[in-house]
Amino acid sequence: MKKLSFLLALAAPLSAQAAETGDLLRFVACPVYRDADSGKKSGCWLADDVAVGIRYDVSLSPYKPDWNRAVLVEGRLSGAAETACGAKVMDPVRASVLPEACQRHMLPAEGYPGRKFVLPKRNVDPASIVRKAPEGPFAERTFVLFFEFDRSFVVYQYSDYLLDKAVTWLAAAKPKKVVVTGFAASDPETVSGHSIAERAEVARERAELVTESIHRMLPDLVIETRSETGAKPADLPDADGIPGQSQRRVEIRALF
Amino acid sequence: MTDRLSRIPRSIMAALLLPAAALALAATQKAPPPPWWSPGEGRTFPAQIDYRNDSGTLRSLLVGGPLPTKGHPFFEPIGSNGRACVTCHQPADGMSLSAATAAERWDVTKGKDPLFAAIDGSNCPILPQGDRASHSLLIERGLFRIQRPWPVKEWQGKPVTPDFTIDVVRDPNGCNSAPGYGPAAGNISIYRRPRPVSNFKYLLAVGFAYDPKQGIALPRDPDGHGQSSGNLMADNRAANLRLQMEDAAASHLQLIGKLTPKQEAAINDFEMRLYTAQQASALGGALDSAGASGGPAKLRDSEPGALGSIGTPVWSEYAAWEKIPPEEAAKLTSEQLAFRKSVARGARVFRDKTFLITDSSGINSPAGFGNPVRNSCVFCHNMSQMGNDVAPGQVDLGTTTLPFADPWADLPLFRITCLKAPHPFYGRTFFTYDPGFALSTGRCADVGKITLQSLRGLAARAPYFSNGLAKNLRGIVDYYERRYNIGYTEQEKQDLVNLMSVL
Repeated sequence: MKKLSFLLALAAPLSAQAAETGDLLRFVACPVYRDADSGKKSGCWLADDVAVGIRYDVSLSPYKPDWNRAVLVEGRLSGAAETACGAKVMDPVRASVLPEACQRHMLPAEGYPGRKFVLPKRNVDPASIVRKAPEGPFAERTFVLFFEFDRSFVVYQYSDYLLDKAVTWLAAAKPKKVVVTGFAASDPETVSGHSIAERAEVARERAELVTESIHRMLPDLVIETRSETGAKPADLPDADGIPGQSQRRVEIRALF
Repeated sequence: MTDRLSRIPRSIMAALLLPAAALALAATQKAPPPPWWSPGEGRTFPAQIDYRNDSGTLRSLLVGGPLPTKGHPFFEPIGSNGRACVTCHQPADGMSLSAATAAERWDVTKGKDPLFAAIDGSNCPILPQGDRASHSLLIERGLFRIQRPWPVKEWQGKPVTPDFTIDVVRDPNGCNSAPGYGPAAGNISIYRRPRPVSNFKYLLAVGFAYDPKQGIALPRDPDGHGQSSGNLMADNRAANLRLQMEDAAASHLQLIGKLTPKQEAAINDFEMRLYTAQQASALGGALDSAGASGGPAKLRDSEPGALGSIGTPVWSEYAAWEKIPPEEAAKLTSEQLAFRKSVARGARVFRDKTFLITDSSGINSPAGFGNPVRNSCVFCHNMSQMGNDVAPGQVDLGTTTLPFADPWADLPLFRITCLKAPHPFYGRTFFTYDPGFALSTGRCADVGKITLQSLRGLAARAPYFSNGLAKNLRGIVDYYERRYNIGYTEQEKQDLVNLMSVL
């Protein structure tokens, strides 16, 4: 296994400038967990961009780090106060778990409270709540959901919500056919001196898993599954302005 | 009944006699029913049936009235080995089977009870069946042998090629290495506790359409009854009750042929009507008094599948005991009052005492909660009234897998080697007593995951966890304490034990 710290050190001169609010940041780091305690799910996730020697608070990512593994951090500096976790806050932010091993490290709270858990705005209603059926007329429409780097897992309280919206609409619209296309950001990039690329096959894995989910919810729907590699960034609202996130997607296109 | 009563400590017996509620309860039980149900004995299963245990009284309610069991396939020995479903799902044991009951049956019948059938009531059929030692796993830990095909070839209707290999490291009983047994022969034997056959309304409930642990919509019930909850068996191998009962009939009853649709309907009808929970506490009195709503009636009357965090908090059945009014307190002994307050505190500890959950597949990966994540018992035991998981409950607490599992010299040990991605927390190669959910899915990341148990009627069915590693309720708390370094105080541990004794 490559020594992540060595690669990170190599990258240091490439991005050694301080970020300003709204700036897009992208780096690879070993995450640090701060054991802040404001109740359930309240701990802090921190990640250092070693190129500039700045510690960021990446806790607001819909998918969170594993303290045993490196993370790909992508997002924007928010300008929010550092009072919750003691680091510059990134929001929106994504923190994808990478395969590279890291030394696990936990900081004490050191007086920082963390954040009391708040249900994300993108959360699926219980099955017992009847969805309001969308009203027609219906025309060709595309829904998009997003993934962690190199994974096909439909992210809880993010992409499952987007999938549920799509399924609810499809159930009402009854399109002639649905085309599910999985994308992979398979073109290699260098981030923090680390060459990263999604596996080409993750595009197909994403498409197949989303297809299977739709099939389970709407078994009579005709679904065609496709995949595309070399995905480029796209301006998609639920990617929250993070280009890397927009590349790792599945599109669900309803045709009439 | 006398044999069961004799197991109750004298101090508890005295306490049982004190409270008026307990006296009233006793008055409704003119003649205590015999605890052991033998196959084919033909009694009537009443609309309400109570059994005493070390912690108090367990009650089962059969909605719709009494059931004559003569000829009923749950109670008749329909297979070839003399067992019925009820053999291993005893009403006195919360519709499961305690190790103590198994030991009692061995002593009473000198090992002749069909319970000890060679197929799975012994450590392995190749052992001398007349020897008590050949049945030690059942007698001492309540474990039955479960033989699964290996490698698994199909999961949820799709072909599967496992992404891991299984090597037998140690085989103390022979059922993973003797001729015809073990991975080399196309099967694997693991040892598990029987899960309770009651309160199925909750175990089959679908709270959300998507499985947050697998990142996919729940599968459809193969018989067309909506989506499958994924909460039926330890390894989630049966998508509905029909498949579960067919699996059990073929393996545990050694049924030649198949259950008929009529038999399946009759078993389904009985199981779906049955609700079981502790009704009275030996130390605290009636569990549905002074504002509390313990007991199975609440289970019978509530809507299943609700997430406690956004509705009725888990174990809020005992919220009224947090502040018992003076006039109510005056009716109780000091011991009863203290116990009730302890139960109420235990419910709070269960919900609110947070700790860092680490390296637990199904929780810390791949759902995106992070590793570690701070939460409490209700993170997983989240369904109102029942305490099972609203989502399919396959998680790895480490109970079956090293280094977290306790050492067991009498269980087979397997070496798992992941062929593609390593396991998210155990790495490429590791050791387990039971691969659990991975025996169904064929995925290395699922090794060690076991479906969460129902938490109702616990007092009647020790030991606990799928491999019986916790001998008693305190053993459950102790396991969690050492697994997650929670830091429970002694008072909190006792409060949790008291809570679990009244569920």
